[in-house]
Amino acid sequence: MPDKSPKQRTLPRTGIKASALTFAVLTLCGLLAGCGAGTNGSAGGEVELQFSWWGNADRAAATNEAVDLFEQRHPNIEVQTSFSSYNSYIQKLATQAAGGNAPDVMQLDYRQISQYASSGLLLPLGDRPEVGTGKVGSGMLRTGQVRGTQYAIPMGRTSQVLVYDSAEWQRVGVSEPRLDWTWRDWSAAMRELNENTGQAGSTDPGWSEDWFEVWLRGRGKSLYTDSGELGFDKSDLAKFWSFTNGLSQRGAVSPARQTTQIDGSAANMPFGRGNAASGITWDSAVGGFQALIGDSLRLAPLPSGPDGTPGQYFKPSMLVGVSANSAHPEEASQLVDFLINDPEAGDVLGVSRGMPVNQDIREDITPSLSGLDERIADFQQRLEGKLLDPPSAPPSGDLALQTTFQRDYDHVGFELRTPRRMAEQFLTSVRSELQQ
Amino acid sequence: MNVEAPDQRLSEKPRAEKPAEPAEAEGTRRKRKREGAAWVFLSPWLLGAAVLTLTPMLVSLYLSFTEYDLFTAPEWVGLDNYVHMFTEDPRYWRSAVNTLVYVLVAVPLQLAAALAAALALNSIGRGKGFYRSAFYAPSLLGASMSIALVWRALFNDGGTVDDLLSSFGVNMGGWVNQPGWALLVVALLTIWQFGAPMVIFLAGLQQIPGELYEAAEVDGAGRLRRFRSVTLPMLSPVLFFNLVLQTIQAFQVFTPAFTVSGGRGGPADSTLFYTLYLYDRGFTASHMGYASAMAWVLLVVIGIVTALLFRSSRSWVFYNDKG
Repeated sequence: MPDKSPKQRTLPRTGIKASALTFAVLTLCGLLAGCGAGTNGSAGGEVELQFSWWGNADRAAATNEAVDLFEQRHPNIEVQTSFSSYNSYIQKLATQAAGGNAPDVMQLDYRQISQYASSGLLLPLGDRPEVGTGKVGSGMLRTGQVRGTQYAIPMGRTSQVLVYDSAEWQRVGVSEPRLDWTWRDWSAAMRELNENTGQAGSTDPGWSEDWFEVWLRGRGKSLYTDSGELGFDKSDLAKFWSFTNGLSQRGAVSPARQTTQIDGSAANMPFGRGNAASGITWDSAVGGFQALIGDSLRLAPLPSGPDGTPGQYFKPSMLVGVSANSAHPEEASQLVDFLINDPEAGDVLGVSRGMPVNQDIREDITPSLSGLDERIADFQQRLEGKLLDPPSAPPSGDLALQTTFQRDYDHVGFELRTPRRMAEQFLTSVRSELQQ
Repeated sequence: MNVEAPDQRLSEKPRAEKPAEPAEAEGTRRKRKREGAAWVFLSPWLLGAAVLTLTPMLVSLYLSFTEYDLFTAPEWVGLDNYVHMFTEDPRYWRSAVNTLVYVLVAVPLQLAAALAAALALNSIGRGKGFYRSAFYAPSLLGASMSIALVWRALFNDGGTVDDLLSSFGVNMGGWVNQPGWALLVVALLTIWQFGAPMVIFLAGLQQIPGELYEAAEVDGAGRLRRFRSVTLPMLSPVLFFNLVLQTIQAFQVFTPAFTVSGGRGGPADSTLFYTLYLYDRGFTASHMGYASAMAWVLLVVIGIVTALLFRSSRSWVFYNDKG
């Protein structure tokens, strides 16, 4: 055997210590650096507009066609478009806006409006003569206002919906939902479905602030008041959660281990997976279920309050706003007006952003709709004039509270905490979010 | 911070290598020349470290004392973030406890698996290359989101594992969707990816001189005794290295929990790890100041844990160079 000195046989002590330390320092640096702010500069050309939105390829095709039409009408304007999926769009836009590089024209979510407007990132559109809003219903228009100023215009409207498989309901002999059913009727139907099919009647609505809002409005309350204060108290939430969790425990709606996996996509909803006889969603998201359930898919409104007060409302599926930093506010406003009011643009865009908010365009395109689009249009038609005005845009902290709501309900669903205890905890989070 | 530790070492090395140069002036000039070259070669890294790492770190330290929502200018709030974290945020403590449990479960088991695989691979002759690659593969795959998605599908309600167990009469109704099991499923994913420490163990095993085993055998030591009295002490520096590395990594675990839980750390916060909650506060709730404060607390905690590991190493790590 060759003679080796002991030093070569094992790794030297200092080497190991130094490598471990270096590694420790480097990885930690990466972690901390992730929380820094980032900026990057870009300069505007002549009349060149940036327009960005979230959506899928269908929406992109329709939007690009409409933008081409706009460029034909205004040869001096060139519009650069970009789009991505919802989650990455929200984060990307926030980063751009933080660096002062928000696009001239941007699609916005209802929950973003307050934060963007109060941070001075949006151009007030009320005093722009280019933007016509005469054909948009006043209740709908109000959803783009923050403290009385119009910062954004809704682009399409959607509403809460209970989707169900009518063939299945008929097969098990449960009568289909009526337009004016109440939460009591709903829970009776859920229990009946459960008894007749052996599976849950619907998704447990307790997981989402959206469905809690419908329940609250049916009782004459709201998530937030117009001035951004809380519109309900601890006992309201505790009552709602006791109600939904009670149904879940007896099998009438989905069990906690299914409810916890809901993420908005049809494929992860108990209804979409064939574990429940109905589901609760937005009518703009029904398309995902059509593929899973088929042509017997039907739409019904969410239940109303005890005295018949409807809880659901027409919500903007998305809004459009102009950056306060835009170098071309006039041209940007023209583009906004074109997207909302131009009949030809309306034809091209169709229902790619939900039912159009412009009354004339809505009536214009409705006859040409078919299949699921037609059923959605019909659903909204039946609700027309029966619903209360939508609430004002939620305050900025609401974006964070949405996930907190779902997390807190998990503890109720898995019976780790009582509804009352979790309602209390949720309200503590609300207070700390709204304070800021 | 110790960011400059490695370059100091590099620049000192040439000095230490020439203890007795006859022409003193000549030596200094050459030394300076070499040092200069070292700095030139280091400059891209130094520049990157200063601009991309050190600066954001300092900014993050500043932000940790502010309320910053990304849109409006940071507002100085002193120690508020830290006070809120320790006294008013139950979810913060939940995430800290989850992370600790994860570190205590995943790291020892992963190292044990890595060591076992390394020992097995060290003793086989034929097909060495194949088996090494096979055991290392999960570590390569695991870096991607996709494997975590597969994991989620496997252990979900109606997933492969669930179906398989159901056919044996064990009906669990999914693992990732139940608060009692989800954390273990995430830990299992980490344990399965033991390739990197395994390769290091393997290198360490091959450094152990064969004559030690021969001598032990002559003294009548059995397999187990040889492992305990020869392999383990000789391997202890490598074990220590792996332990430090894996512990630090485990504290910062993010991707598997984010993917397996669908981004929320559920069910019922059971996989809400520290970094996941940090991300949530910073990017979903727009409390960048709070997220920065969380990051600094994590840094300090990892620093303390690492220091404790180093201190404990004095009593159990055997360095052969002690002479």
